[in-house]
Amino acid sequence: MPEVNGPPDVDLSRVWTGVTAQVWARTPGPAERLAGRLLRSPGLARALVVTPSLLLGWVISTCAVLAAGILATAGTGTPWVALLEPAVAAAGIAYAYGPAIDPAWELSQSMAVSDRMVLLARALAVFGLNAALGLIASAASGAAVAVTFGWLVPMTAVCALALAAATLARSANVGVAAGMAGWAITVLAGRTLSGTVTAVVTTPALVLPYLAFAVCCGALVLYATRTPRGAI
Amino acid sequence: MNVELTGLVRRFGRTQAVAGVSLRVGPGVFGLLGPNGAGKTSLLRMMATVLPPSSGRMELLGRDPREHPQRREIRRRLGYLPQNLGYYPGFTVTEFVEYFALLKDMPPGQVPRAVAAAVERVGLAGKRKSRLKTLSGGMLRRVGIAQAIVNDPELLLLDEPTAGLDPEQRVAFRTMLRDIGERATVVVSTHLVEDIGAACTEVALMNQGGIVFHGTPAQLTARGEGSGAAGDAPLERGYSAVLAEARA
Repeated sequence: MPEVNGPPDVDLSRVWTGVTAQVWARTPGPAERLAGRLLRSPGLARALVVTPSLLLGWVISTCAVLAAGILATAGTGTPWVALLEPAVAAAGIAYAYGPAIDPAWELSQSMAVSDRMVLLARALAVFGLNAALGLIASAASGAAVAVTFGWLVPMTAVCALALAAATLARSANVGVAAGMAGWAITVLAGRTLSGTVTAVVTTPALVLPYLAFAVCCGALVLYATRTPRGAI
Repeated sequence: MNVELTGLVRRFGRTQAVAGVSLRVGPGVFGLLGPNGAGKTSLLRMMATVLPPSSGRMELLGRDPREHPQRREIRRRLGYLPQNLGYYPGFTVTEFVEYFALLKDMPPGQVPRAVAAAVERVGLAGKRKSRLKTLSGGMLRRVGIAQAIVNDPELLLLDEPTAGLDPEQRVAFRTMLRDIGERATVVVSTHLVEDIGAACTEVALMNQGGIVFHGTPAQLTARGEGSGAAGDAPLERGYSAVLAEARA
């Protein structure tokens, strides 16, 4: 700051900082403002808008995959959107948070806004966005109602698996691999047992096992992100 | 006392990085010296509540970091510069400092002024709109310092803060440390002995996870007098003498 002299009763340094602050102030974007209102935490809202799998490039990629799914569904009659969406969402969840994808991870760990809250907010936001995009794509593909909504519960389970694997292994890539492999095995097993590839998203009897699995994975995430108390 | 450590231990598998450290630190600038692998960074990370201790007790700013509400209060009053400052390459200087000000739970109304003050204090006002990926190593270090001081911390933990700074910046930085140390506790981990001599009121020397010396820089200097220990400056000779004694 330049050295200036003013009246003795005026703290020019303070005035200068005040003016600078006004000139430099950043106006949050609409998404950040909305998130800030919903989460009641500007810090959490800022952490949300820097989520790797919520950035524009990632969202465009997701839309492109789902658009390809719509075309493939129309061309083959197989509900590709329903089969793709859980894997796409799982990848997004795995890339929402973690040491490998957050350059300032170490610093973030020392912050007052809890990293578990950041993880939760990011995972929910990615899940919500993927669910909305998936529903739009599923409806656009002209799939039956059972298929349109049937993949939401399996998606929850696959996302929970990806999140748990990413959290335990502290690696987003491991999370993606676990989610995709888990979902591929489930689809193939469903086709082998029932003869139809859509069995995994249309069989009502699978809803409870999917939910139970998701709960177990959620518990693992909570356990892995707890703060060890250390010995006394 | 702002920092009270009792028998603090941290193990990584079979390796004991910190071996029963007990320390009491009040306001002022406290230097943590030691060779590479002495346990300075692990100790600092535990004080930053990033790394839980394997055993021992820790009280920071009169609070117990094992309890969630108290840990949150500590973190609100904490400034931390890690050894390896990760950064978001697309952020500007002010965006980065503001991000961490918000994560420190500062009242949003105070953030713009605090960010402006911190960025000016580290001499980066002219670079405030620059993306972090365009900055030099020394400038990034100053950005890291700015985020550490943005909340006017009561406990400031700096791991190798002067790495990459040029001599002029280091002089300005030491002046800033002395200023902050008048009302807060500043713990500086470094292996640059001259930083300690110029800025610290107290110093501890670590070796193999333990503290082998705790006193003033003058006392450390005195340990080197007539010892024949290696070093270009009196403080360096004191450092070498204490280390040689500990290793003997």
